[in-house]
Amino acid sequence: MTPRLPPTPFLRRDVLGGLGSIAMASMLRGEEAWQPPDGLPMIPQRTKRVIWLFMRGGVSHMESFDPKPMLTKYAGKSIGETPYKDVQNPEKLKKVRVVVVNDANGQQRNVIYPLQTGFKRYGECGVEISDWFPHIGSCADEIAFIRSMWTTDDNHGAQVQFHSGRHMLEPRVPTLGAWVTYGLGSMTDNLPSFINMGPRFFDVRDGHYLGPAYDAVNLKVDPKNPLTYAAPEFQIGRSQQEAQFDLIHRLNGLNAEQYPGDKTLAARMKSYQLAFNMQTAVPETMNLDAESAETKKLYGMDDKVAEPFARQLIVARRLAERGVRFIQLQHGDGAAGAWDSHSGLKKNHSSLAQQVDKPISGLLKDLKQRGMLNDTLVVFATEFGRTPGSQGSDGRDHHPYGFSVWMAGGGIKGGTIHGGTDELGFHPVEHPHYVTDVHATILHVLGLDPHRLEIPGRKRLERDFGRVIPQILA
Amino acid sequence: MPFHLTVLHRAHVRALSSGVLALLSSAVLAVDYEKEIKPLLKERCYACHGALKQKADLRLDTAAAMRKGGDNGDILAGAPSLLLQRVTTPDKSDRMPPEGEGSMLTTEQVAKLQAWLAAGAPAPAQEKPEDDPRAHWAYQAPQSSGRPLDALLAARLASKNLKPQAEAAPEIWLRRVYLDLIGLPPSAEQVTLFLRDTSLPARRRVVDELLATPQYGERWARHFMDLWRYCDWYGLGPQLRHSQKHLWHWRDWIVESLNGDKGYDRMIVEQLAGDELAPGDRDTLRATGFLARSYYLFNRTTWLDETIEHTCRAFLGVTMQCVKCHDHKYDPIEQADYYRMRAIFEPMHVRLDPWQGEPDFEKNGLPRVFDLHLDQQTFRHVRGDEKNEDKSKPLAPGIPQVLAFTSFQPAVLKLPPSSARPVLLPFVLRDHLHVADQQLEAAQKENAPAAIKAASLRTAMIQAAYAADLVRNDKTIAAAAALAEARYLVAKAELDLAKAESDPKAKDDEKKIKAARDALTKAQNKAASPGEAYTSLPASLKAQEGPTESTNAAVQTYPETSTGRRLAFAQWVADKRNPLTARVVVNQVWMRHFGASLVASMDDFGRRSPPPLHQDILDTLTVEFMNNGWSLKHLHRAMVLSELYRRSSSNAGVDAKTLAADPDNAFFWRMNPRRMESQVVRDSLLRLAGKLDLTLGGPSLTPAASETSPRRSLYFIQNADVEDRFLATFDNANVLECYRRNESVVPQQALALTNSRLSRECADALAEKLGRLDDKAFMEESFLAILSRPPTAAEREVSMAGFVALDHNRSLFLQALLNHNDFVTLR
Repeated sequence: MTPRLPPTPFLRRDVLGGLGSIAMASMLRGEEAWQPPDGLPMIPQRTKRVIWLFMRGGVSHMESFDPKPMLTKYAGKSIGETPYKDVQNPEKLKKVRVVVVNDANGQQRNVIYPLQTGFKRYGECGVEISDWFPHIGSCADEIAFIRSMWTTDDNHGAQVQFHSGRHMLEPRVPTLGAWVTYGLGSMTDNLPSFINMGPRFFDVRDGHYLGPAYDAVNLKVDPKNPLTYAAPEFQIGRSQQEAQFDLIHRLNGLNAEQYPGDKTLAARMKSYQLAFNMQTAVPETMNLDAESAETKKLYGMDDKVAEPFARQLIVARRLAERGVRFIQLQHGDGAAGAWDSHSGLKKNHSSLAQQVDKPISGLLKDLKQRGMLNDTLVVFATEFGRTPGSQGSDGRDHHPYGFSVWMAGGGIKGGTIHGGTDELGFHPVEHPHYVTDVHATILHVLGLDPHRLEIPGRKRLERDFGRVIPQILA
Repeated sequence: MPFHLTVLHRAHVRALSSGVLALLSSAVLAVDYEKEIKPLLKERCYACHGALKQKADLRLDTAAAMRKGGDNGDILAGAPSLLLQRVTTPDKSDRMPPEGEGSMLTTEQVAKLQAWLAAGAPAPAQEKPEDDPRAHWAYQAPQSSGRPLDALLAARLASKNLKPQAEAAPEIWLRRVYLDLIGLPPSAEQVTLFLRDTSLPARRRVVDELLATPQYGERWARHFMDLWRYCDWYGLGPQLRHSQKHLWHWRDWIVESLNGDKGYDRMIVEQLAGDELAPGDRDTLRATGFLARSYYLFNRTTWLDETIEHTCRAFLGVTMQCVKCHDHKYDPIEQADYYRMRAIFEPMHVRLDPWQGEPDFEKNGLPRVFDLHLDQQTFRHVRGDEKNEDKSKPLAPGIPQVLAFTSFQPAVLKLPPSSARPVLLPFVLRDHLHVADQQLEAAQKENAPAAIKAASLRTAMIQAAYAADLVRNDKTIAAAAALAEARYLVAKAELDLAKAESDPKAKDDEKKIKAARDALTKAQNKAASPGEAYTSLPASLKAQEGPTESTNAAVQTYPETSTGRRLAFAQWVADKRNPLTARVVVNQVWMRHFGASLVASMDDFGRRSPPPLHQDILDTLTVEFMNNGWSLKHLHRAMVLSELYRRSSSNAGVDAKTLAADPDNAFFWRMNPRRMESQVVRDSLLRLAGKLDLTLGGPSLTPAASETSPRRSLYFIQNADVEDRFLATFDNANVLECYRRNESVVPQQALALTNSRLSRECADALAEKLGRLDDKAFMEESFLAILSRPPTAAEREVSMAGFVALDHNRSLFLQALLNHNDFVTLR
């Protein structure tokens, strides 16, 4: 039996693509029962695509989507002096796995630091959101907030962990976006189906043992230089290049007669068609001239601070419209990530929030008005939260024990407040979720069963699969 | 006999006779023991209750064994049976599989078990239990058939009524062998020359010539760099976190070893224990870069885990990752084996030794390992948790029992003095003095008295420090060194102060001058009472043992003995009696010549790896390889001069039955086409352009340079952060692990070959190289140069039409041809 080829991020399911080296290895191993996914949903599909917004550096959950007035009440006191001193019970701190021993960061911070901004209730669900995110607040009834996340890396390797489910000190495994494209494949013949925009640092790959074909393709919003080699690096006329592609196609066609049944050759011919299409499709997607002034305003393009992220999000929507499956955005420069406010948290977060708040609300509203929010999932995430205690005089340290993320769109019950942390925002006290629970939920609404995303010879642990969060499903 | 029918029948009878209609639901589930029950039990239960282990004295690998039962008797009898009880009980402490050993069986799986039990647990009468794990094929010594691989293949094809494909055109063979052996295509002249004589002796001559070129070593070094995870250092900014600086010395050792056809067994021993095998030989020490590569600043356990895992996978085809936390589920290897192996590496640390001619470790140095913590004990990590060591008993170094064809007896080794004290290396003093001399010369040229004084005092300091380092523990000489150092520091401080005062542009003048003045005062105070503490000559740089160690550079003396553990281990790995080592590398080389491996999983020859279809070929080649001094060149010859290697990779014209019976070519009735690795694509482009720089070895080049550098691709920096964008596009090696290179087909590759400056410049240069030919001759020569073959009649026609459409632009035509599938393909 010839095993089928797994879906690829580049070619639609009806077209042959990729090389089945994984499939082949499995066959030779004698595991004939195993087959890669066929690109069809395994369970009912609630959403088709994902826009993944990742805030690099660690967003303070208390000053975003899980406000804690007790911090202001006990400001300046040590945690031990509050009624909540048990949060630092060593038993409760055990799950953290330290990468950098004795690092200046990633320590317990004992003196409680007051909330640096106010908060109010939004929407019919009445969720409390900090004053730095009013626009996202205005979309509260579309959103399911998860206030009970935890992770195990106390340093920024947690960024990798949030994407893949594995700690930095463990072997690298495919990220969520890679699994999604592996499971479902592409919906377009003009664009790659798994795209990353924005800086990455700790791990620039996604596919790992699935292969580099499942790495996200890095795009820049610059229409002149959106993608490596997207445009000729030398002078050539459009018609000349067309003639070149035509000649390549014809010669490879003749080659196919000499080598009948050569699947790689067939895939290569298809890849040239896609490459040719991409040369037009990618810059066209980046070009926002056709977007109306109202749309641009909706995303905050008129605000200098918000403009760069607004542009990326309009592009994200355009990619979504054009059939891209997984659009992964990374916000915040630097190795650690811009949100990493060990000092000057107020200035840092208020300014970064201004960069993303309006654009994100714009994205949600725009998707809704275009009828796309039903089958597009928007995820807002970060690698960990920040400490209730202060670091230095005006910062907060890394806090892997508890933090918040949210989701909105296809398959998600808007206006949901799920889980919660204790009075200090230290530990989740109800419905704690490890990061892969978010993955499981996303795969679930996409119609995928993580347990069926396995390949022979690569053991996945129970924790890698995560558990669906049923309370936030529509 | 279709077994499930019986199940259904019996279940029916029982259900009807008992009159319990509810049972019908399970009766309707026709269950086939062989197809549905056995695989389930195998996957979930056999690891502890099978041939590998018999917990509670119970085996589940035959129905008879289940009836016989274990400590608690028959597990199939009764309703519910013990089997059903134990997999369904809500009591977690009682449930199978136990917590942490796998999740609970699904409802569906339980229903199947139930149905099978309800049917009376039918199974074939002569059910065979699992084989003894130690009898696994890969744990047995390979036996040679004494016959050539072609004869073995032919016999198997004949027995299956499969017909081999015809030979490929000789020029296709030539291109294959060039790309396979040196990673560069033949020139048009080389093709033409070869076509005059394509006899077997002529082919043998070509192969010998290629194996004798230094480019062979570079080509195959890249394969082994994949396998051995070559990775230049990286970290955060200037902080080194992974690997070691100047790791390229190890890469050069690989290239040189291959070119010299060093025995592969010797290469293994040098890499794992070069410092114990030949502690005084700096060329050999380079090999230990294999171990230095896994250095990780933040976590010793991670470092050793990677060392163990990838040593075992690369050389032995054994996976150890799972044994870190629990006994192996498939292979007869237990958790303690993991920590016994860790004990082998436990004393190991890494340092830079000086490289002759350059005393500055930022600029050059020899990354090498050595035993530092000779008495460090190794404890088992409970469930793999490094924070939870089982301190009750330390583990002695050792090897897994299943592969213990010899006893493991490391012997402590005495090291030469310069190993313990690198300052004794003959060039250390000379190199330090040379730098001081250069400083003096520069000062004399400028006629700057203060600078001259400082430089002279520096020379004096170096000599005094060296003298003190040599004798050690002599107070008088140490005092002299301390005084010389203090004097130099005063002179240097004076010089710095003068510089600070004379630099009018400096913004923070005041601050700088004050700092210089303070430094001078400090130096003068020291000079007034220098004592006996002096700074040793920096003749080595011990790697930090964790991020907080700040005094590592001051350490200049190391143990005078080595535990000999790694040497004993390496000799066990590279022993002819080790059934795995040679097989693993033969399989690797085979895969790289034939595009498909004999053993599917390159890095796991354990029990999950069934006996390979062509085990006779693997074993014959393996025995022959070992009997010929583990010579890789010998192995290449056996493969590339075979009939199989000459066959066409096309399905065209092949016997229809053969194609239908074996469409995936499992029986090797034809060759497999392969895609060039990324390095070969780039190197070939440069070669075609006539630009490739064949300089061998040296420091790794920055990726920025790779855009314009004509050096071969294996010389560019590659780590988890940095890689060349062109190489990345064509599936570069993953530095974390790469036992088999991916061969993806993605549109970015098409864009790289159509849009990159590299491909265009290659086409331009080639157009110029081809010179003034008429269009027809140009067409012929283009094909010959790029695809190493003439065009077919149809290709001529299409090409000419395309050339016209391209306005007779030769560059553009050549660039199109570089995008021909057969350019990136080894046909």
